[in-house]
Parts: sequence; structure tokens; C-alpha cells
Amino acid sequence: MNEIVQVGELDKYFGPLHVLKNLSLMVQKAEVICIIGRSGSGKSTFLRCINFLEQPDYGWIEVDGLRVPAQGSGRDYRTLIHNLRLKTGMVFQSFNLFPHKTALENVMEGPLTVKQMDKTAARQLGLFYLDKVGLVHKRDEYPSRLSGGQQQRVAIARALAMEPQVMLFDEPTSALDPELIGEVLGVMQKLVQEGMTMLTVTHEMGFAREFAHRIVYMDEGHFVEIGPPKQIFDAPQDERTQLFMNAFSRFERPGNGG
Amino acid sequence: MSASSPNQNPNQLEQIVARQRQQQQRFKTGVNISYGVLLLALAFLFSGLEFNIGPIAITTISLDFVFIRERIGFIFGGVGLTIMLAILSISLACVLALLGALGRLSKFPPAYALSTFYISLIRGTPLLLQIIFFFLALPQLGIRLSGLTAGVLALGLNYGAYMTEIMRAGIQSVGIGQREAALAIGMTQSQIMRRIILPQAFRLVVPPIGNEFIAMLKDTSLISVTGFVWEILWRSQRVGRQSFRNLEALLMAALFYWIITIIFSAVQNRIEAYLGKGERNSGGMIH
Repeated sequence: MNEIVQVGELDKYFGPLHVLKNLSLMVQKAEVICIIGRSGSGKSTFLRCINFLEQPDYGWIEVDGLRVPAQGSGRDYRTLIHNLRLKTGMVFQSFNLFPHKTALENVMEGPLTVKQMDKTAARQLGLFYLDKVGLVHKRDEYPSRLSGGQQQRVAIARALAMEPQVMLFDEPTSALDPELIGEVLGVMQKLVQEGMTMLTVTHEMGFAREFAHRIVYMDEGHFVEIGPPKQIFDAPQDERTQLFMNAFSRFERPGNGG
Repeated sequence: MSASSPNQNPNQLEQIVARQRQQQQRFKTGVNISYGVLLLALAFLFSGLEFNIGPIAITTISLDFVFIRERIGFIFGGVGLTIMLAILSISLACVLALLGALGRLSKFPPAYALSTFYISLIRGTPLLLQIIFFFLALPQLGIRLSGLTAGVLALGLNYGAYMTEIMRAGIQSVGIGQREAALAIGMTQSQIMRRIILPQAFRLVVPPIGNEFIAMLKDTSLISVTGFVWEILWRSQRVGRQSFRNLEALLMAALFYWIITIIFSAVQNRIEAYLGKGERNSGGMIH
């Protein structure tokens, strides 16, 4: 079996609000999934359930053979969630770098404290991943001295340094000035080419069209339509997807749109 | 002639900047002159001069300067102890405040309850009572504490309760994103607290804790009621009673407290400025 991420019958409520409705998804190794949809459609919540930053109310998550039910308690269950998190890396919209640590220290933090690596090894690993995102020369800078794009690249390096099986990107470019988006997408493109399994919540339709193997369109907590970019962009089956795509194409490609 | 925009006319811009600077300078000079006048008035008040202005007889306070000269050294001898008492107590208070804050934020019911109980009890009773209690009431239970120990314990416990809120606010002001990022790379709750949250929170709580320390410098004087701690107030009361010169003695004590406070306030301003700068240069909060 090649399925590295499996989500089964996931439900999530915020109080009385039913935000994820019976979601299931199988993700192949090295597959790139882009999740798109209006704000409030539940796409970020779905992503955050995969590493239990949000705890689902029903269903299960499986990553790399480790299955975690939505609910549970006790030390064993917490260990299960912890181990699940070790298999996933996450990149946030607002970067969330540790402001009191340098770029390199940010990247080293996981290997050092979670994997208990010795300092030299962690440093080497940190430099390797900073190099991968093209920021070795900024290793001693604090986050506040880095641009948004650079901060996000450090955040990607920080997640990669834990050598996860799958990367979760939660609107990684939404907080960036337009001229800084490219450098982050560039790093993500590199990861795609290296065969990293990725789930990305994004508004970057260009990226989704070019690099996603499958696109998930979400609306009101449902997976409305899942399919290859060609289908979703050019021949959406569901009416809601069509409406969404029409709204987008008017801005994205004014030459072809209405 | 219509006024041109200062942006286009560097001369005019310079004039505006110069005028603003002049206004600020004038204010500062005014304040300094006023300080001078106040000090002169104070000096006059204690000058001991007596004279008549027409029909009005003016009498000022006359101090026994011989007494002051003889005893000022003795009272000054308490400055070191006062500062030491404050440092010991604030250290204890910091530890208690941190534990208290962690308790208040804990999802473990007994920890939350204990911490809430501690804060309520301490804030619900007078500091002076607490000091006397530690010194006078505990011996009845077979616990005999020196005046110094009783005082430091009481002050530390008391300030710890009040500072819990400072610590709690500091911890809570670290954005939720920091915790999530740390969770996402697999850090445990205690690792997150130790390595991510607290280092950022400490930076935020140093200025308010500095304020508490400055307040505490004066509250150490309450320990004088135990009668066995030779800090500033105790010394001044002792020499004042001996020679019936309470006015001079207490004025000296007041002056020392005031000077210590001015010095530590200046230190505090420095630290605050440094931390503010550090934040911009090296650790701007993302949230």
C-alpha cells in the first residue's frame, strides 16, 4: 500500500457549529494535494486536524501506518498524537518562528529538544535545511530581521529538519507581500520535485494548477469535488466548484474569463 | 506668497524641526527650574530661620544638625540590609509568582485551586499582619523564625501573590501560534513552556517586576516591627527614640529611601530601554 496519509470519516464541531462533515481522503506517497475553497469552508481546520492541532470529534487519521482515533485519553493516547506529529511537518500562515531564537536555532530546536540530537549534529542538520531554502547566510539573524518570505522559508526548514513523512502547508503565502510569494513557492516547488508528500491549503491557483496532483475543493465542511487540476480548473463537475472557479478566473486570467 | 510644502523646501523643514526641538527644550528647562525652586523651598522650610515680614512672624522648622551629623552614619548602615531584604524577598516572590501563574493556567484542578486559594488568602489579609504573624504567631506552633526570616518569607509570599497576575499576563501574551508551532515539531508541554513560552514571557515581565521591586524596597520597612532587623527604619526609630529626635531621624530615613528609589528607578528605566531595543532588534513578536 502506498497510502501515506489516510483520513477517515472525520467530523469536527466548534460548539454547535459543524465545520467538518464526514471527510475521508487517501493520499499517496509523493502526492501533492491542494485544498482550495472560500474562507470559512473548513479547509484550514481540516489540515490542522491531521496533526491534531485541532482535535476532531469523530473519525481517524493515519499517517505512515500510525492510526490515531479522533478521541481518546490517557498517556498512551497522548503518545500516539505525539508520534503522529513527529511524522508531519507544518507551515503556518503567520510563520510562527520563535522570535527569541536565530534562524539556525529555530531550525535546530526540534532536532535538539525533540530528537535529543547532540548540538553538533543538530547544527549540521540545521545548516543543511537552511541551505535547502537558500538562507544559510542568514543563519545568525533573528526573525525580526528577516523579510516575511525569508521567515516563511526558515519555517519550512524548521519543519523539514524533523524529517517528516508529510508536509502540511496552511496558506503559506497568504500573509506575504506579493513580491515575496515567489520565493516561498519556489521552495515548495523544490520539495514537490524531491517527492515530498504535501497537503497545501492555498489561494495560489497558479501553484495548484501547475504542481498539484489532485485538488480538493471544500465548501461548508464538505469535500465537494476532488480531482486533477485539469478537471477542477477546466471542467468542474459540481456546480459549486464551477461558481468558485468562475469567480476566480475573472481575476486570475482576465484574457479568458468573462 | 503661498506657503510651499515643507517636503519640498529643506530650509523650511529644518525650521520646523528646530522650532519643535526648541519647544521641547523650553519645557525641559522649565521643569528643571521648577525642581530648583521646590528644593529651595524645602531647604527654606527646614532652615530654622525666624523673621518678621511686617506684622507676620515667620517661623521655619529648625533641625538638630549636630544630631544628624552624629547619627546619619548609623542610619545609613541600614541601606545595605534594606536592599538585601528586598532582593531576597523579590527572588522568593518571583518563584512563587511563576508557580502561581502556572497553577492559574493549569488544567489540573488541584493546581488551579491551590494557586487561586493562595492568591485569595494573601491578598485578603494585610501585609503587616502577615509579617507579625510569621514572627509572633508561628512560635506558638513551635516554629521559631528570626525577624529577618519571618520578614522575608512574609514579604515574598505577599508579593508573590500579587505578582502572579503579572506572570500570568506575561505567559498569556505569548501568541498561541508559538505554542502551535512548537507542538507541530513535536515538543512536549513542558519543553514548550521552558524553551519557547517562558523566555519570551520573561522579557515582558521584567519591567513590571522592576516596579514591584521598587515598591518592595519601601515595604521592607514593615519588617522593622519585628524589632530585630537592623534596616533603615528600625535604625532611625531607635536613634530617634533614644534622643527624642524623631523628626530628624525619620527625615533621614525618608531621604535614604527616596534616594535608593531614585537610583533603582533609573536602573529600571535603563533595563526597560534595553529590553525595548532588544525586542526590535532581535525578537519582535510575530503576533
